Amino acid sequence: MGLVRKQAPQQPEEVAPERPPAETLLRRLDDPDTDLRREAALGLEGIAEAVPALLARVHVEDDPRVLESILITLAAHDTDEVAGSLAVHLASDEAALRTAVAAALATMPRSVPDLLPALLAAPDHDVRVMTAMILADLPHPDAHVWLLRMVQDDPHPNVVTGAIDALLPSATADDIPLLEHAVQRFPDDPFLRFTVQAALPRLAGTA
Amino acid sequence: MTSDTATGARVLVVDDAATVRLYHTTLLGGAGFAVNEAANGLEAVEAALGTDFDLFVVDVNMPKMNGYACVEALRSDTVGSDAPVVMISTEDRPGDADRAYQAGANLYLVKPVAGDRLVRVATMLTAGKDDVA
Repeated sequence: MGLVRKQAPQQPEEVAPERPPAETLLRRLDDPDTDLRREAALGLEGIAEAVPALLARVHVEDDPRVLESILITLAAHDTDEVAGSLAVHLASDEAALRTAVAAALATMPRSVPDLLPALLAAPDHDVRVMTAMILADLPHPDAHVWLLRMVQDDPHPNVVTGAIDALLPSATADDIPLLEHAVQRFPDDPFLRFTVQAALPRLAGTA
Repeated sequence: MTSDTATGARVLVVDDAATVRLYHTTLLGGAGFAVNEAANGLEAVEAALGTDFDLFVVDVNMPKMNGYACVEALRSDTVGSDAPVVMISTEDRPGDADRAYQAGANLYLVKPVAGDRLVRVATMLTAGKDDVA
């Protein structure tokens, strides 16, 4: 008689908890309970009608975990509306908000490129520094080119050093003249000079 | 990463930019400080729970935990560090320094900070700590 495989005991089928209706989740975005707000923000994933409420909540949300959840849900949309509305917060006085928004924008390669001309020309150089942070992580084939442009053209040394920091992981020997030119543009900036000089031996080896 | 000397005061450099960490570590390490690095506020808090640092040099804009939140955590009962904190940032808009001091920083500097100035500040703030490492 052949071996008969024992039937595995029947496991009760796991049933995913049903997602509350969008109206309920939207109401919970304003709930005093941070866990409920966080779950609501994540639960609104993929619901385009929830975007305005989520964008509005970014302005007032003071819990970093909830804010992070809101931004995760918003970033997944990767639309011009979301990117443009989030970019406003790059100039925020709240460090937690501007860095969280920069991290979210860095995951939005479809919509962020259209924003870049305005961000690179922002009169507030701190916004341009944050833009370099975004480009450092943006999964887009032109991110390197935009960073090169910042290094070449931006008039503020902190922006240029931020762009160089973002550029270096992908830089090659071809970028050496541009980096050396940046040092010449800001001869009194010790950090910029140090950064370039420290990077040159490695870059020269990539020729 | 650690750059140490036999007798230097212990400094934790906290910055998400690798180039900035290298710059500050090179400057302070060259001046005799024992330097550790952290890439964000969370790493800094974790490091501070295990080591009594004599000075923190902290950036503002960092992922995961920004500089202000990091300094508040360092000053909290959980970490309980009363070591001096120097915050260094590109942010020079009105109110940034106030925010840093509210969080518990001792000094707020705007980048770029000349190397000799950073070393001078670190030396002053860690005076009397030369034999702790």
